[in-house]
Amino acid sequence: MAMSVSTGLPPDAPVIAPDLTMTSLSEQVSARVLSERAPLWWHIGFAVGFMLLTLLIVQMAWLFINGIGVWGVNIPVAWGLAISEYVWWIALASGGTIVSALFFLTRSPWRSATNRIAESMLLSAAPCAGLMPIMHLGRPGLFYWLFPYSTVMGVWPQVRSPLWWDFICLICYILMSVMYYYTGILPDLATVRDLAKSRSKQILYGILALGWRGSVRQWQNQRVVYAIMSAIMAPMVISVHSVVGLDFAGGLTPGWHDTQFPPYFFFGAVISGTALIMMLTIMVRWGYGLRDVLTEYHLNAMAKVMLVGSLLLAYAYVWEAFGPFYGSDVAEKTEFLRRMFGFTASAFWSEKILTVVIPQLLWLPSVRRNQPLLFLISTGIILGMWQERFVFVTSSLEHNYMPSYWGHFFPTFWDWAALAGTIGLFLTMFFLFLRFVPIVSLAEVREIVEEKRSK
Amino acid sequence: MTQAARTYWRSLEELAETPEFVAFVERAAPRFRDLANAFDRRRFLQLMAASMALGGLSACGPEANIRQLVPYVEQPENIVPGRNSYYASALTEDGYATGVLVAHQMARPIKVEGNPDHPASLGAASAIMQASILQLYDPRRAQTIFGAGQIATWEGFVSALHDRRAGLLARKGDGLRILTGTVSSPSLVAQLAAVQQQFPAMRWHQWQALDRDNELEAGMRSFSQPVERIFDLSKADRIFGVGSDLISATPGWLAYARSFAAARRPSETGGTMSRAYAIESTPTLLGAKADHRLAMRPAEIVGSMQYMASLLGAGSQQGSQQDNPHAAWLKAAADDLAQHKGRALVHAGREQPVEVHVLADAINGALGAYGNTVRLIAPVNVNAGSMRQSISELAGDMAAGKVDTLLILGANPVYDAPADLNFATALRRVAFSVCLSLYEDETMLATTWRLPATHEYEVWSDARAVDGTVTIMQPQVRPLYGGHSAQQVLAVLLGGLATDDYQLVRSYWQKRAQQENRGDFEGFWHESVRVGVVANTAEAPLSLTPKGGIDAQLPSTASPQQGSLLALFRPDEGNRDGRYADNPWLLEMPRSFTRLTWDNAALVAPSTAERLGVGTHDLVEIQIGPTKLTAPVYVLPGQAADCVTLPLGWGRAAGGLGVGIGFDAYRVRTAADPWLAAITAITKTGEVYRLATTQGQDRVLGRDLIREGNLDQFNSAPHSIVEKTKAESLYPPYQYPGRAWAMAVDLNSCIGCQACVIACQAENNVPIVGKDQVLDGRAMHWLRIDRYYSGSPDAPDTAFEPMPCMQCENAPCEVVCPVHATVHDHEGLNLMVYNRCVGTRFCSNNCPYKVRRFNFYAYAHQNERPPESWNPEVTVRDRGVMEKCTYCIQRIRTAEIAADRDNRKLRDGEVVTACQQSCPTQAIVFGDRNDRNSAVVKRKAAPIDYVLLDELNTLPRTSYGALIRNPNPAIKAGES
Repeated sequence: MAMSVSTGLPPDAPVIAPDLTMTSLSEQVSARVLSERAPLWWHIGFAVGFMLLTLLIVQMAWLFINGIGVWGVNIPVAWGLAISEYVWWIALASGGTIVSALFFLTRSPWRSATNRIAESMLLSAAPCAGLMPIMHLGRPGLFYWLFPYSTVMGVWPQVRSPLWWDFICLICYILMSVMYYYTGILPDLATVRDLAKSRSKQILYGILALGWRGSVRQWQNQRVVYAIMSAIMAPMVISVHSVVGLDFAGGLTPGWHDTQFPPYFFFGAVISGTALIMMLTIMVRWGYGLRDVLTEYHLNAMAKVMLVGSLLLAYAYVWEAFGPFYGSDVAEKTEFLRRMFGFTASAFWSEKILTVVIPQLLWLPSVRRNQPLLFLISTGIILGMWQERFVFVTSSLEHNYMPSYWGHFFPTFWDWAALAGTIGLFLTMFFLFLRFVPIVSLAEVREIVEEKRSK
Repeated sequence: MTQAARTYWRSLEELAETPEFVAFVERAAPRFRDLANAFDRRRFLQLMAASMALGGLSACGPEANIRQLVPYVEQPENIVPGRNSYYASALTEDGYATGVLVAHQMARPIKVEGNPDHPASLGAASAIMQASILQLYDPRRAQTIFGAGQIATWEGFVSALHDRRAGLLARKGDGLRILTGTVSSPSLVAQLAAVQQQFPAMRWHQWQALDRDNELEAGMRSFSQPVERIFDLSKADRIFGVGSDLISATPGWLAYARSFAAARRPSETGGTMSRAYAIESTPTLLGAKADHRLAMRPAEIVGSMQYMASLLGAGSQQGSQQDNPHAAWLKAAADDLAQHKGRALVHAGREQPVEVHVLADAINGALGAYGNTVRLIAPVNVNAGSMRQSISELAGDMAAGKVDTLLILGANPVYDAPADLNFATALRRVAFSVCLSLYEDETMLATTWRLPATHEYEVWSDARAVDGTVTIMQPQVRPLYGGHSAQQVLAVLLGGLATDDYQLVRSYWQKRAQQENRGDFEGFWHESVRVGVVANTAEAPLSLTPKGGIDAQLPSTASPQQGSLLALFRPDEGNRDGRYADNPWLLEMPRSFTRLTWDNAALVAPSTAERLGVGTHDLVEIQIGPTKLTAPVYVLPGQAADCVTLPLGWGRAAGGLGVGIGFDAYRVRTAADPWLAAITAITKTGEVYRLATTQGQDRVLGRDLIREGNLDQFNSAPHSIVEKTKAESLYPPYQYPGRAWAMAVDLNSCIGCQACVIACQAENNVPIVGKDQVLDGRAMHWLRIDRYYSGSPDAPDTAFEPMPCMQCENAPCEVVCPVHATVHDHEGLNLMVYNRCVGTRFCSNNCPYKVRRFNFYAYAHQNERPPESWNPEVTVRDRGVMEKCTYCIQRIRTAEIAADRDNRKLRDGEVVTACQQSCPTQAIVFGDRNDRNSAVVKRKAAPIDYVLLDELNTLPRTSYGALIRNPNPAIKAGES
């Protein structure tokens, strides 16, 4: 998986701007956290996010009062937008881990400046993902019955169910992600504490920094723990998303019942997660003026990851199409034909164009340096992945084994409100991260600055 | 009495103190006689004080026992929680009785079963019978007596009618009319005879929208006397149906369906099977089951019957080969029938013209059917004249002002009388009209006296089955919403006060038992009521032969030009003539062919729809005569070209739940021909009307869901019909040392009548969801009957497939539930633990058969029915919970407990599922797979037994017997 960083850009293209020093770095990044007033664009972004979050709260209230019937789900399409969006959000979140943990292990230098964005994104997207399956339950108040705890009735969860694997994976993943994030950010919180002028901030960040003094022993422990956690997180993210794939592969439904879905879903996570990080990096780079820290080098590297992701996805698509026609199952074949040419045809084809065809532009170095274009391509990928999840989840259920019970899924207003609302939750959380934590890993970028200076 | 300072009056009559008023008070409320004119303030205060004092006193209990609860020491006999008691009775449909056993839990009726001892039921119960229990409890039933627009009392009605009586007696009953539907009740007939005696000039009219005039008139013509034709399908090797409702609606159809199916299970009959032909304009259940079927326009049916008659040497030999495109087919069928003389029969549906019935009678004569496959008896309906004529005369007399007193007992002519009679307008000229009805329907609202009727389960009565067998109907519960019976109303007309329905019926039977020398009356009464059948009351067969050649004397049916559109009026499967339009179970029951719920639609053949440029869900305007009808279109495969079927019984203007649902086809139905009308034009409105169907696709799309073969194949290589896929599992199989429940469904027997669907709904507390939710794909029926077509859209083969839970051995639902809410039990059932369900719905996704249902809303709580009407043996499911067919686990447990109590093994046939019990054709068999002698093992041992989607290796316990057809080798495939 090791990425060579030397292709595409001139060999001497710098990871960070040449005139960046330790001090300027610390001040540039910490100033965003410590400034009295946030910039206007932050306020706008946060306001939009918060409004949508309010919609989510209204939606949840309406849903819990009236029941799941307010959504468009039915029999046969018992899983609708909530589950496709769950998969979508979890893929976006996983992308954060892939960038931060997987590329940490490969020691890719471009990861140092982007990992905080990636992880903040992960922590913002994971609750969105986690909310979806809970909202989608018929009796959401009882979701905790999936926990393996001893009850008076002696009933335990059913461990053969992929849903239970998924539940356990998701919980572990979210907990690990939070700890991983905190381990990484600890030295930076200390930096902010040290630079803070106001008493309240000194106390706040002082508590958060857990008494970090930057001693060699602390650094050594932190680096070791961080490396071990990375080594756990990297396979974990693969397993999390594979288990999401197993939710479907374990389902006896034409279009789902296929062993390829665990890697298929992971490929989707690679491309969509990276695309979201790309969008956020471009936004942070522009908004916070961090051009020295987040350079074209980073964008170029991420564009290449996206390109690889799209190729992997294309491969998965081919196999997905190959299966039904190679096999003898009429239902599989019919389902796939309907998916391609039936009710969901437009979504099916536009998703292929957005996630596979258009990203091929990234072969061109000039495209990889063109930020507006990168932003658009990334947006397209995320939209395309949403359609892909939607078609995948609903089309299979619509065209099940029983032709007499074929049906359609039409999302209702409240279905869309759940989508918009979780986007709101994501934006709100991410903008809070932007405001309250150093959005670039100071400690790790300092290493790069130091390496460069000592050359 | 001192002079009151001020006199208050309650009505103008009182103020005037007319002698009529004084007389009225004296009669209606004698105890208030003294108060009528002397109710002053002082007296009022006295009374108030006295009642307050008494009220206060009665509140004082024995001081020592204050707050002490009184235990229920004396338990009523035979009322055991959790155990059903059954009471026999009958339910009438179009006046004809079908025996029922009503199950009671804790002394309240909760479920209707067929009475096995009753000849019209044989244990089966139709969807309508099943749904009758909901009608009994319907809170929307009429509950208040109205007289002249005011809330009134029964006593008020009695006095009003008695007032009227004096005048009528003087006029010998001139101006008095009674309107009923078909009457088969001996006690009611005796009362009517008594009325006729008191009022010689009185006229008794009969009307029901689904009249059997054509059948009866043809009988009159063929046999010179009124006859009822009773069919014996067990002796019929060849059945020829002409628009036939023989196994779907004709009186006694449940029993016919039973013997029809019994003769068509080759694995049980030793490889033989009857052969059925059908010619019809709109699909019928017999047509769907027929081995050969032709869709024909009504005129072609007449021509074809003439041709058939001439081939078989019957009738007037008018038919000729030249002008009949189906001549070869008909010739082959006629030859086949001729070869089975004495073992063949022809049946024509009630909607067929007299000519067709006369021809059918003649052909039956030529086939030697009388005395063999067809039995002729005197009709049960006493007044068996033409109903159409009867209602026309009544409407004419009313309009002419010749009627001043009209009693409408169990008919709804304002809604369903032929539109050209303008019944509602004529009714306004009747000074004193009474309507006795279960709902505040259209007619009730138009009469001067509105009397809520008792439900048939609330009152003592009697009724006869189509073959004459009498049932004494005992009430299952005291009247829930007040109400009175027709017998009670007539008793009042006869001058009595008798409100005791028990005495009315019992005294009639006491007299009759004496006449018939039935011996000990108490014993006779007790036994008749207990069994639900009065012994030896079936009509004796008449020995008659049809007159030949009379069909030529009939006025020829006007045959509209080829290509012009025809409207066919047909009863709706659930609403019938509209009398069940308020029953939510029947409204939501998917119709056998269209799978429509909550609506009727204009049914159009695919070729006609294409020509007209319309499709399903298109709203069209249908011009018939001067009236335009706006109706949605449903494109129905198998419909005859250019024939538009308009189901009756919808678009009610008043009543209960059914008001405003669907369109009212009665608006364009005339007395001249109530089954047929010429359509002037069909125009698209451009609007779309969403019809709620419950079926996704009409075809099996290459899946092996319906295995099908013909009889030759069955006899030579039965295993080739059901090739099986063998699959392996990594897991060891479950072991069942005890019982292992299983079900077998015979597709050949299933006629698609939906009885099991409603039986399941009634037994298992399945809620209705309403049209919007059906449209959203959330119908809740645990058991559904899939309907699949094969072949060309205009002449398809139809297959019905009941779909309960398959109770898979390798159940895909079980493995995916994260909380153990659906689990396998020790007897092989897939249990659904409602309380444990969190509602992930993964089980439904994973069910390849799509038999799981989810409570997207709290449907059961939204249903408008009193709590006591639910089956207490079955949990009422809450919102957010999955549910499905349980093989009626409550019945399994009840039987097991009974067996344990008696310390014996469970016998085969002791557990009967609700669907199995109601099925008229015994298509469903349930039992223990581990019991080698059980009926289910025998069914499953048949070589044509198969399971659905066996390639998935789910190993279902519900298996199916393949569909076997018995085609005539002389008819080439594709010709039918």
